[in-house]
Amino acid sequence: MSIAFDTIAFRAPKCDGCGECMKACSAVKQGASRISIVPGASAGAFEMALCRQCGDPKCVMVCPAGALTKNGASGVIDWSADKCVDCLLCTSGCAYGAISADPVGGRVIKCDQCGGDPACVSACPSGALEWGGAGSIYNRFGEMEDMFVPGLAGCQGCNSELIMRHVMRRVGRNSVLATPPGCIPGMGSVGYNGKTGTKVPVFHPLLTNTASMLAGIRRYYDKVGRKDIVVMALAGDGGTVDCGFHAVSGAAERGEKILYVCVDNEGYMNTGMQRSGATPYGSWTSTTPVGDKLKGKTQDAKNMPMIMVAHRAAYVATASTAYMEELYDKLDRAIEASFKGFSYLHIYSPCPTGWRVASNKVIEACRMSVESNFVTLWEYTPEAGLRFTRSPDRPIPVVDYARTIGKYRHLDADQLAHIQAKVDEQVALLKRLAGEVATAPAALAAAPARTSTPDGAATPPLRHETFRP
Amino acid sequence: MPEAKYLLVGSSHAGLEALRAIRRLDADGSMAMLTKDSQLPYSPTVLPYVMSGRSKPDAVILRDRAFFDETGCVYAPGQAAQSLDTKARLVTLADGVQWRYERLLIATGAAPAIPPIPGLQSVPFHVLRTLDDAVNLRTRMGLARRAVVLGAGLVGLHAAETLAEAGLAVSVIEMKNQVLPGYIDAKASERIEAAFASHGIKLLLGRTATQVAALDGGVSVTTDDGRAIEGDMLLVATGVKSCTEWLAGSGVEIDRGVLVDDRMRTSAADVWAAGDVAQGLDFASGERQVLGIIPTAVEQGRIAGFDMAGDAKQKPWAGGLPVNTYRFFGRPAVSVGQAAAEGDGFEVVEQEQPRKYRRIVLADNRLVGIITVDDPFDAGIMGELIRRRVDLGAMKDAFLADPTQVGRRLMSEMWR
Amino acid sequence: MSAPATLKATSRTMVIDGNEAAAWGAALSRPDVVAVYPITPQSSLVEYLAKFIAEGKMDAELMDVEGEHSVLSVLHGACLAGGRTYSATSAQGLAYMFEPYFRTPGLRLPMVVSLVTRDSVTPCCVWGGQQDAMTVKEVGWIQMYCETQQEICDSIPIAYKVAEHADVMLPVNVCHDGNYLSYGVARVDLPEQEVVDAFLGEKNVNWHACLDPERPMAVDPLTGGAGGIGPSTFVRYRKGQCAGMAAALDVIVAAHEDWGRRTGRYWSPLIEDYRMEDAEVALVTIGSMTGAAKDAVDDARLDGRKVGLVKIKTFRPFPAKVIAKALSKVKAVGVVDRAVNFGWNCGPVFQEVLAALYANPTRVPLISFIGGLAGADITPEHFGRAIADTVRVAAGETMSSPIWLNEFDQ
Ligand SMILES: Cc1cc2nc3c(=O)[nH]c(=O)nc-3n(C[C@H](O)[C@H](O)[C@H](O)COP(=O)(O)OP(=O)(O)OC[C@H]3O[C@@H](n4cnc5c(N)ncnc54)[C@H](O)[C@@H]3O)c2cc1C
Repeated sequence: MSIAFDTIAFRAPKCDGCGECMKACSAVKQGASRISIVPGASAGAFEMALCRQCGDPKCVMVCPAGALTKNGASGVIDWSADKCVDCLLCTSGCAYGAISADPVGGRVIKCDQCGGDPACVSACPSGALEWGGAGSIYNRFGEMEDMFVPGLAGCQGCNSELIMRHVMRRVGRNSVLATPPGCIPGMGSVGYNGKTGTKVPVFHPLLTNTASMLAGIRRYYDKVGRKDIVVMALAGDGGTVDCGFHAVSGAAERGEKILYVCVDNEGYMNTGMQRSGATPYGSWTSTTPVGDKLKGKTQDAKNMPMIMVAHRAAYVATASTAYMEELYDKLDRAIEASFKGFSYLHIYSPCPTGWRVASNKVIEACRMSVESNFVTLWEYTPEAGLRFTRSPDRPIPVVDYARTIGKYRHLDADQLAHIQAKVDEQVALLKRLAGEVATAPAALAAAPARTSTPDGAATPPLRHETFRP
Repeated sequence: MPEAKYLLVGSSHAGLEALRAIRRLDADGSMAMLTKDSQLPYSPTVLPYVMSGRSKPDAVILRDRAFFDETGCVYAPGQAAQSLDTKARLVTLADGVQWRYERLLIATGAAPAIPPIPGLQSVPFHVLRTLDDAVNLRTRMGLARRAVVLGAGLVGLHAAETLAEAGLAVSVIEMKNQVLPGYIDAKASERIEAAFASHGIKLLLGRTATQVAALDGGVSVTTDDGRAIEGDMLLVATGVKSCTEWLAGSGVEIDRGVLVDDRMRTSAADVWAAGDVAQGLDFASGERQVLGIIPTAVEQGRIAGFDMAGDAKQKPWAGGLPVNTYRFFGRPAVSVGQAAAEGDGFEVVEQEQPRKYRRIVLADNRLVGIITVDDPFDAGIMGELIRRRVDLGAMKDAFLADPTQVGRRLMSEMWR
Repeated sequence: MSAPATLKATSRTMVIDGNEAAAWGAALSRPDVVAVYPITPQSSLVEYLAKFIAEGKMDAELMDVEGEHSVLSVLHGACLAGGRTYSATSAQGLAYMFEPYFRTPGLRLPMVVSLVTRDSVTPCCVWGGQQDAMTVKEVGWIQMYCETQQEICDSIPIAYKVAEHADVMLPVNVCHDGNYLSYGVARVDLPEQEVVDAFLGEKNVNWHACLDPERPMAVDPLTGGAGGIGPSTFVRYRKGQCAGMAAALDVIVAAHEDWGRRTGRYWSPLIEDYRMEDAEVALVTIGSMTGAAKDAVDDARLDGRKVGLVKIKTFRPFPAKVIAKALSKVKAVGVVDRAVNFGWNCGPVFQEVLAALYANPTRVPLISFIGGLAGADITPEHFGRAIADTVRVAAGETMSSPIWLNEFDQ
């Protein structure tokens, strides 16, 4: 297997052009900045030029002096000051504007990632620059065994298949996997007619009893001393938030030691895209169609991870495949927590077929859902409370996200405003739980002040405290 | 008889890139790289720096022995190919050894073209194309006080700079009225000329050497205006020609170089060519030309390599784009595309400032060429804008004001 | 016959109700996982289990789950992991459990669940009756109905022995009547633990299908489809279930026999004949009503009527042959049910007996009695009337059936 490398990632929507990254780079490198932030297409938008440390680097191939080499261990394209003759041919090989001459002294400069701890990333106050650990993940997990057969029958671009494969790679063979009815078994993980699609023990619980069956398995294995088995589910949202809710809630309340991964594609996608309790307001589904009288779902989705927080589950986190490093981090913690109590990981999973998203835009949809706060990424433990794992500050408008999703195509301005208000409200609530002072969203600010204190008494100020139910 | 599935002749940019491309598709097909050079691979472009002493001859190698071991490619230095039999699939070397190939890459590059100046062949003169040339020049220049350079192209100017920096009195004779003819425009040329002049170099532009004669261990070059320019050493840098002699009689079609199609295939089956030896598509004109630069050698080498390894999915090549970067006396000049173009259909914007010069050529609101002096830019990005024929639309003014910023923005958006 | 000399058959004698007797029977069978959810009239049974576990009398994982659906679901998990499991439920609990309940025999899980039988709503009712158990008779569970507290206690280990038999591998409901047996107190001799351990032998509940990383497999892959191997695979599963059921008859007999040898208590495994030798009419009963029915038979005998009784212990699989044989010589049969078969307007047991008797060369008239619904008493007087009616039917009279025994109780 080839080796992959970590990189510096740029999230354009978050960048406010403050220039701290360039200052930090200049300071560390004692010269011109290797990263450059330039004005973007509209006022307040910014773009970035920085070495991508290409796997197939043209700068290296055009260098006549052997001064540039792709470092097999770090992935960085190393530049040798001794060998370089500053001929600038390398600049012709770079389509990113990432290798250039220092205006002072004229020597070639390029990013060396500061040896894995880039100054620009540390200096970035907006979260626009990130140290992306995807390469490390690939190296760590790429060699691990894929627990599913190749050629599962998911739709093209299926995000759930991605989740399944990644999660099970990490979990490994010492596990028991429940995949309740839905796309996950539907695509062949439990197999057909006596053949299996999975290398670990796998079963098809009822849509309604996943958490319970798992609880029974765990209890027995714990009783006979086989405590190291990961007992887990890859379950859809329908079986989790609707008809299987009792089982999830019961297992969480009892602190059953299981790992429950909810792959949330916001409805019953396998049976033909019907609405579930996790389907967001306004969505077109086959049971919330769009016509003259009805324009998609008229209720908001229930927030299952928050419900799990209210259960004081041992671990609760939300995750998105647009942020794999984080997903893997959370998976690590979720697995660990599943040996102590109920561990709940909620992964958002756009469905190209059911949501009407082009299959090559699924990860983009994941990313925009997070950038718009439609999906918030956070984690919770009873000990540490709730914390955001990605800042919800500086979101893009929800409408930008909604526009990328076919199931929202019909939404009118009022509906979009409803969604935006709901997103703002959820973020405000989460911020309170996270102990961050929330600026009241417009929707709340307009409402009369609500207070539980007697009339006349001042409303108690928001407390800077972490939520510990 | 030695044989290889992939036989690469020539060990410079084109050959090395082909090797890499082949190995990406075929991890262990047998491969050999033959080269006339006795050293490990190096680039001709680095030679001026070897000549100046900035680069040590043993520090300029592009690939070490271990690389060839790792890639499973037999590296055979000191092996000059002398003839090719495409029917028998045999390459015959100067010493008579024959290599059998399944697929052959011709990457023998170019060699100095020696102009037919009366007397030239009877005097000692230098060229600069091989490491040996550079080392010889360096030795010679340590003993000389005056040097004459024929040709104010890239090689001539580089060498002239080096000679001047080493303290020699240097005269450069150039047929055309400007330096770097064909690459840069007259105004850019003026600035470079000024740099040379300020370092005491005599540039004799628009002059033709008519006669060369030996003189006290040195030379005397007579120009068309009757002047005699004397030197202790003479460097001929009047251009290059593709190394195709060894292909004579092979049936491989040759014009100024080996004619190749958009996958670098020659007219002979299972024979490819790339780099300075090849005459392939030119992006701007749509005709086949020898571009003689590294970026083109690399691109062609890659396409050839992938095609040799059987990659059926390659997009047809859009053609080579001139890209040149220069730095004379610390002053950078960069040109991409039809930087010197003028006339109908071209919109030329020249920005002349005391400390920098920029010339942007647009056609149909799209960038087709750009050159700057003392204002380096992202040559790779400009190349992309030209190749992709990006319509600058409403961004044109912003682009003209700051091509680097707008170029970076466009690329950042594009690659996201 | 007596128990092997090395083992003391009885550890102690107690006076306990049927729910506690069931709890003891379960405890002695050493389940690994017990899941509970309360429902009248089962509640005290699971309380006893919890108490036994709390006091260390029983070494099982106690899972107090959020409803019967999960009761059976957690036990599915535990059983597939290799555990012996136990639970109990009634009426609405069984109804709520139905989804995993139906799946249990399909997965061939050798589980034992007590049904403390009760009438099912609506009309709203928390009292005894067998409508719950009778409604699920076609689901594929083995059903055994107990007559006494002692039989409850003994039948649970027997049920495990049957369920886990390699030829059977099916779940068993040990049924006992709500109210009469669940709360009624009687003397029970508790078997010695060693006796039960030796009787049950090594547990091996998931050799056929398991969820174990050491033996990875897909449990219950999707079967079926338009044609070919899919439906035929499904057919093999179904046929296998039926074969298991059929095989259970002999296994049940053998298990009861084995139990009798070890404890001295020989329960009739399939049916019990009572005074049938020369009987001219017979009553058929099931469950706790049988005691009162036997008294009525005795009274009738005193009056000179040749009446006998057949009690059904094993209702699923239905012991059709032995019933047909037992009833082959009588002139009329009265079948007393504690549940209703709505579609046939009779009792469910009646309908089964009717079908079984089709195998006999001579047709005898049958009459359906339905009594004991909603906790009603079926007294010896009620049975006396039933006997009288059956005798009249034997004499050629036609009567409108079913006869609702408690219809006019005040
Ligand atoms: C002084 C100088 C400065 C330059 N500056 C620049 C610059 O700034 N930018 C730029 O883009 N380009 C520059 N060039 C041109 C650039 O070096 C060439 O375009 C490039 O090297 C072409 O690569 P190639 O692989 O096609 O062939 P070459 O580099 O010419 O290599 C040819 C190879 O073939 C071998 N060979 C030749 N004949 C035979 C034979 N018969 N048998 C076996 N082996 C044979 C040679 O030994 C050599 O290994 C410069 C060239 C020189 C000389």
